[in-house]
Amino acid sequence: MSQSNNRLSRYDSSRFRRKFNVLLWIISVSLSVLVVRMWYLQVIKGDELRQRSENNRIRINEIKPLRGTIIDTKGTILAGNQPCYDVSIVPGNVKNVKAVVKMLEDFYRQEGIDFSRGADAVDRARSFVPIKLAKNISRRELAVVETHSVELPGVSVEVIPVRRYLMGEMTAHVLGYVSEISPDELKSDASRTYKPGDRVGKYGIEKFLDRFLKGISGGEHVEVNVSGRRVRVLGKVDPVPGHNAILTLDADLQKTAWEAMEGKVGSVVAMDPRDGSVRVLLSRPSFDPNLFNQGIPIADWESLCNDPLRPMENKAIAGQYPPGSTYKMIIAAAALQEGLITPDTAFNCTGSYQFGNRTYRCWQKKGHGRVSLHRAIVQSCDVYFYNVGRIVGVDKIAEYARAFGLGEPTGIDLPGEKYGLVPTREWKLKRFREPWQLGETLSISIGQGFNLVTPIQLLNAYCALANGGTLYKPRLVERIETIDRQIIKEFKPEVKAHLPLSKETIELLKYGLWGVCNEGGGTGGALRRKEADVAGKTGTAQVVAMKDDRKSATGWQFRDHALFVAFAPVDNPEIAVAVIVEHGGHGGSAAAPVARKVIDAYFRNKAANGVRQQAAAQPGNAGADQKKATESNEVPEEGD
Amino acid sequence: MIMRFDRRLLFNFDWVLLLLVILICGIGLLNIYSAGSSIASKTEPIYVKQFFWFLLGFVMMMMCFCVDYRLINQYSYIIYGATVFLLLVLFFYGEVTRGTQRWVVIGGFSFQPSEIAKLSVILALSKYFSVQEIEEDYTLKRLWLPFLIVIIPFLLILKQPDLGTAMILIIIFVSMVIFVGIKWQSVVIVVTSGVLLLPLCWMVLKDYQRERIMTFLDPERDPLGSGYHIIQSIIAVGSGGFLGKGFLKGTQSQLRFLPEHQTDFIFSVFAEEWGFIGGLVLLVLFLALILWCLRIAQHSRDLLGTLIAFGITMLIFWEVLINVGMVLGIVPVVGIPMPFMSYGGSALVVLMMGVGLLMNISVRRFMLSP
Repeated sequence: MSQSNNRLSRYDSSRFRRKFNVLLWIISVSLSVLVVRMWYLQVIKGDELRQRSENNRIRINEIKPLRGTIIDTKGTILAGNQPCYDVSIVPGNVKNVKAVVKMLEDFYRQEGIDFSRGADAVDRARSFVPIKLAKNISRRELAVVETHSVELPGVSVEVIPVRRYLMGEMTAHVLGYVSEISPDELKSDASRTYKPGDRVGKYGIEKFLDRFLKGISGGEHVEVNVSGRRVRVLGKVDPVPGHNAILTLDADLQKTAWEAMEGKVGSVVAMDPRDGSVRVLLSRPSFDPNLFNQGIPIADWESLCNDPLRPMENKAIAGQYPPGSTYKMIIAAAALQEGLITPDTAFNCTGSYQFGNRTYRCWQKKGHGRVSLHRAIVQSCDVYFYNVGRIVGVDKIAEYARAFGLGEPTGIDLPGEKYGLVPTREWKLKRFREPWQLGETLSISIGQGFNLVTPIQLLNAYCALANGGTLYKPRLVERIETIDRQIIKEFKPEVKAHLPLSKETIELLKYGLWGVCNEGGGTGGALRRKEADVAGKTGTAQVVAMKDDRKSATGWQFRDHALFVAFAPVDNPEIAVAVIVEHGGHGGSAAAPVARKVIDAYFRNKAANGVRQQAAAQPGNAGADQKKATESNEVPEEGD
Repeated sequence: MIMRFDRRLLFNFDWVLLLLVILICGIGLLNIYSAGSSIASKTEPIYVKQFFWFLLGFVMMMMCFCVDYRLINQYSYIIYGATVFLLLVLFFYGEVTRGTQRWVVIGGFSFQPSEIAKLSVILALSKYFSVQEIEEDYTLKRLWLPFLIVIIPFLLILKQPDLGTAMILIIIFVSMVIFVGIKWQSVVIVVTSGVLLLPLCWMVLKDYQRERIMTFLDPERDPLGSGYHIIQSIIAVGSGGFLGKGFLKGTQSQLRFLPEHQTDFIFSVFAEEWGFIGGLVLLVLFLALILWCLRIAQHSRDLLGTLIAFGITMLIFWEVLINVGMVLGIVPVVGIPMPFMSYGGSALVVLMMGVGLLMNISVRRFMLSP
């Protein structure tokens, strides 16, 4: 078989011959260019470059930007940066790493400081990556290193700004915390602006505003000598510090509320009903956000996660509770607006309500007698609302609850907000594959049963009522500024919706709420200030389902949740507060005093600020003739 | 008849090609061993991983060798379609690594479809050009279909974003078009419109890509960012000197001074440790390989074989030229790996499959056509 016979006769590659020849030259010449370039770099400039690589090592150091500060509405700093000192060693720059570390330990021993940290970490192949010997050393330890710096080649001290939360636990849930970026976060970072090792906001405002707060890294290109000391800086790009965030939060009020909740589990939220600005937002128990700065020890993290009181949960936006009697406002609003009752419609309360073969109790065992709307709100009469709720019906109640913004996140600028729950017939069918029972309507009429609200939802709903019918999106961030105070972004108040209620309905309800705090027999007597300007509503959320005698369940975890929502001054409200005390018992006794402290502090601060307005606000017009508050100081207990 | 094992496959086997590839791969593995010695890996070291990829590549190479390339050619468009499909899957569901979607993960085994696209495009273009029964040069009218073949994967890869691989596709396309012949009038039209469209391309580029090109033009512009790569790479190569610092003795490229040194900047590790002599030997080996492949293209029995062999040769040639040029600071920093040398499984396996095709074409020129 000769080669020529095997060739296909039709194909003649000779038409490409010229091209192949040209190509041969192109390839040979271009690879020769590479060789010439290599000759230039390695032979002609070889010595010079070798010198640069051996004696003077050029290193790139990232300069992290300062994270923007977070400031409250009055200018108090909530989160800032503090310098922190880390000691590291570059093993590749030292002949005997162990000896140097030993020497460092000896210097410390002379000063009476135990310093045996990190010695084992050094036992690695020679590398030019600095190894941290100790993080966050004290000033005394710093002095030791600095004094002996000449005798400690390769050892250097880095100054690292560390995030500091000045109010610690108090603002932990609002501000959140920062820590090192996780591999998952790096992967999903489409903007390519984060690098491994970066600190990012993981929670709260730190997370929500991370892109404003973080700033832009700078860097420097430095020459270091054999022992790792800097010789000179070749080039430097300054970091751009992060922007400052100004919140609507009021640090003084936050502190007052925090102290008022001492020893309690739950949440306090306060807002300005005029524009939805959040003044207080806290959740107890809390955690120390400063723990996360340098990486939280695993044991601490686990104990935070395993705590049955869930300190990592922001109960203000993620805690879902039955609203209890605070829900009665919704029932009343629906009934009035739909024309199903008039303010004078009255029902007789004998202490219980018979439906089918079940007895639905009023919290007042002896009964309230014949009550109409106003007194029913004031005394929080359950039987009255069983009757009204039955007339209104579950789906109408749901319609109004949604109009008040319940059952969906309020849209506050914090990650992790929950939906709450507004039950309807359709929902029940879908969820349980069972039709709605009329008895369940009775339960939701007094805020028990399926319905769930978060404290922020509840407060926002009451704010809408307080300001005359405008539902705002809670606003936590006022604006973002550069460090030289130029405004980058302003967060204006946002109107979400308007309540579908007439002016008369709103006034009637507000008057009822005023009565709760200021009339005899009202359940919110704890809020009776001498100005008689507070309106509010108590609530008690059952933890254990209906029992004949609930007092028999004595354990703390079986006690009811106490709720209280209030706003003041009643005719032109500036501050509204919602308090939830988990397992606190009755709203009037456990939650109302907390709300009172916040409201008192608000007006005290305002007066102190010299923005004094007319001291005593007038109660609502509707209540003009009944504004004489009874003198009784006893706090009536409220029950189921 | 084609699938049956033929003794002539062994008798006429292209031992030179195999030897050259194994030699280069061996140097590559040794070099990755050195480059990876400073990387603390949680799993096995990268040279072990690369060795397994090499074994897989060897198996794939033999598969591509055994099946007659004319039979493979019948499936060229299907292979091409499957590749585009993979790129689309990636486009919608790809795992994002540092802002780019390049990996498809199937059962813990991840690979880059963009690497496969290089080979698929060569096969598809070869198929298209091999059936055109014309003797004169091509006009633009007859080039729109091959242009479509290349532009679809090009755009999908550009979007990942992987400028380097996308560019390689275009370069292969242009090389092949010039090879089969194009009318000079058409060249004028393309070049003029290209110049006019250049500003538009600039706008499509991502910020970091623009930055890289700007930095190449003026490395001092950004000594901390991408200019850093170029400066450090030049120091690493230059400090190797004539004889090199010795195996495992490189300091510049070992760590920290040169990021990504095991992938795109692998040649600087080699040049630092083995010096000018080492670099010269390696480049001569590559030159021998490329010229040998070119010879296979020239002596193929049919146009199809010539085109496939030519395409694969060009792939190897351009990747070597651009990658080494980049390491030596005479070409902008674009993400193009060095063939057979850079750490990365997909690229190695695909290149070895290409070599398998070359062996395939080489051996069958001695065999009778059915």
